[in-house]
Amino acid sequence: MKSLTRRVSKIKTVPQKKRDGPGISRRSFVKSLGGIGAGTVFLSTGIAKRAAAQYGPVYTDGLSAEQLTDMYTTMLKIRLWETKIKDLILAGGFRGVAHLYVGQEAIAVGVCSALRKDDYIASNHRGHGHLIAKGGDLGKMLAEITHKATGYCKGYGGSLHITDISLGILGMNGVVGAAHLFAAGAAYGIKVKGTDQIAVSFGGDGSLQNSFFTSAANAASAWKLPWIAVIENNAFQIWVRSSDVYGTQDLARRADGFGIEGRVVDGNDVLSVYNVARYAVEKARAGNGPTVIECKTYRWYDHYGAGGARIGVDGAFGLGYRSDRELRDWMAKDPIVRFRKFLVSEKVLTEERAEEIVAEVRQAVEDAAKFAEAQPVPKPEDGLLNVFAEGSVPLHNS
Amino acid sequence: MPKSMGYAILEAIQGEMRRDKLLTLFYEYQTPAAGWSNRSINLEAEFGRTRVRFCAIDEEWIVGGAMGMSMTGVPAIAHIPSMATFIPYELMFNHAGKLRHMTGGQAAFPMVLWADMARRWAFQGGQHADAGLESSYARLAGLKVVIPSTPYDAKGLMVSAIRDVDPVVYCQYPVPSAGPEVPDEPYTVPIGEPAIRTEGKDITIVGYAPQTAEIARAVEELKKDGISAEFIDPRTLAPLEGVMPTIIESVKKTGRLLTSDEGSYTFCNCAEIIARVAEAVPGAKFKRLAFPDAPAPGAPEMLNYMNVDATRIAAAARRLLKA
Ligand SMILES: Cc1ncc(C[n+]2csc(CCOP(=O)(O)OP(=O)(O)O)c2C)c(N)n1
Ligand SMILES: [Mg+2]
Repeated sequence: MKSLTRRVSKIKTVPQKKRDGPGISRRSFVKSLGGIGAGTVFLSTGIAKRAAAQYGPVYTDGLSAEQLTDMYTTMLKIRLWETKIKDLILAGGFRGVAHLYVGQEAIAVGVCSALRKDDYIASNHRGHGHLIAKGGDLGKMLAEITHKATGYCKGYGGSLHITDISLGILGMNGVVGAAHLFAAGAAYGIKVKGTDQIAVSFGGDGSLQNSFFTSAANAASAWKLPWIAVIENNAFQIWVRSSDVYGTQDLARRADGFGIEGRVVDGNDVLSVYNVARYAVEKARAGNGPTVIECKTYRWYDHYGAGGARIGVDGAFGLGYRSDRELRDWMAKDPIVRFRKFLVSEKVLTEERAEEIVAEVRQAVEDAAKFAEAQPVPKPEDGLLNVFAEGSVPLHNS
Repeated sequence: MPKSMGYAILEAIQGEMRRDKLLTLFYEYQTPAAGWSNRSINLEAEFGRTRVRFCAIDEEWIVGGAMGMSMTGVPAIAHIPSMATFIPYELMFNHAGKLRHMTGGQAAFPMVLWADMARRWAFQGGQHADAGLESSYARLAGLKVVIPSTPYDAKGLMVSAIRDVDPVVYCQYPVPSAGPEVPDEPYTVPIGEPAIRTEGKDITIVGYAPQTAEIARAVEELKKDGISAEFIDPRTLAPLEGVMPTIIESVKKTGRLLTSDEGSYTFCNCAEIIARVAEAVPGAKFKRLAFPDAPAPGAPEMLNYMNVDATRIAAAARRLLKA
């Protein structure tokens, strides 16, 4: 009881004035009226205006060079940091596991770039990208994945449970679909607190079918909760193709029955994802309820670990459940290459600068790896702590 | 090459699917195929996708669908993956476990909930540990719970579970291949029949599934000290009526019962076994080993400190003998 009171008194209300997300100023967005054309990005103003009249707000039109560069940098961070993990796993003796996110970077970055620091995200097993995009620290994340005492969760949780409540990260979660409930619950809490925050859940195509998503969607619809469900449709649930076990193929259509707006977007196009996410965020902040966003994408690696992958080579080939050709087709739609080409053609970046950023991120990843490597392992007896807020539980093995 | 536990289970199901043309398997992603060059099983290839159905990540469908199917005379196996083993709990508690009784004996659920039980792995732990779930199912009325620890028992118990007219929860922990060779033909290991793994006279040790490997090592260690331990694997956790006489007889002989549970301490299966022995054998001495009442941390440093292992079992046995 005592600890409960203490904890309650610690909760601070979130300042409502600070509206701007990391590096994104609201004023800089072109806003228009109407519905939006998901998957459509118009950056040259004339086209944007016409498109806006036809399809609705084109938020991406107003992104500054700095914001666009940030998005590119964050996508690279996810890519290179996870590629490093893949190589470490293959090298042997890695103190952890990973469900790699590579290939899906545009989704995490597109969505989180539309969020504020005080917005919440609830993530799943394939969540490293979400966390990095929400501001997670590469070194502390890797320390956690390798179960070090100074990792985000002090080595208890590992990859599947990385959490940083201070960044609004309600945690990765190993149980498929649970993130939807967490985020919808957080969205209800936002209503109770009376703030204008948003709660976003990330889930795979596999996350729609147990009752978690259904419960979240119904509540969010009934009470217009500021909830956004991002469904990363990478076609597979481990090796099972969703098309073999679902009667509906456009998963955003699941939202229809709940009276929730459902959007389908190209998940390999960061600006399209951003555009839809921004739309959903504005809508939710204004009290107009939830959105379900389905992002079509593909994962480059196996469901888990580094099967079929090689050190220094991108992608996992020769997996029984998918063809190498299908993978190569998706790798040709590399969200980072595509975005970089676009940034260069728009003169946001020169080729040289784009390449320099790669080198900078590579260095940051190496630094993170060195940091994690140098961290201490947990003390054995700490396993008995943190079961409850206070005290430890007794051992029973002797 | 000896058959693995996974292979033995598939062989059991294959035999029963050949025998019973309605028996149907629902599963998620745990491909029901196994084997090596000159010997292999592929249930989907043999019986087709209607009877061997992979499903969405939808444990309520897999178990609830199997319940509805079995209630109407189509026996079913619902294969639930690790991490989702608790999702069907409500269905098993309020429906599969209760409805025969509530309907005056009309409703039957000839189904098997085949649960993949991840033990507690270093570098995963947390939600990847299902250990202990067996005791939660074992205390629900109307359910039978079996827990094999060798490939031989795995096949025989699966055949029994499928043929049983009542719902059976079949907990499959990963265990190293050991024990007798697995015959190709169908056979049963009766539900409710324990196995005496080692005969002895000084102390009785009870444990199941992954603990059996630790206990077997501990028994060898104790032998070096001249201690003769009797090791009993209950194999069935519910109902216990068939299991208890063997354990009670053993403790009457040794006067001491040491148990080692895979699950956490409070309400572990062996707590129930100890309580029943205490009622039947006055003056016996007891010791119960288990994982603490904590989730499993992923860091091996913490995990190993908390786990029960052979050395700790042997040490506890020596202490109990001195008590
Ligand atoms: C409730 C539940 N059922 C099953 C599992 C096992 N499992 C872990 S990840 C996964 C596949 C998830 O597929 P999807 O949601 O599409 O995400 P993806 O891995 O493709 O990113 C499964 C079946 C689980 N963790 N939780
Ligand atoms: Mg998927």
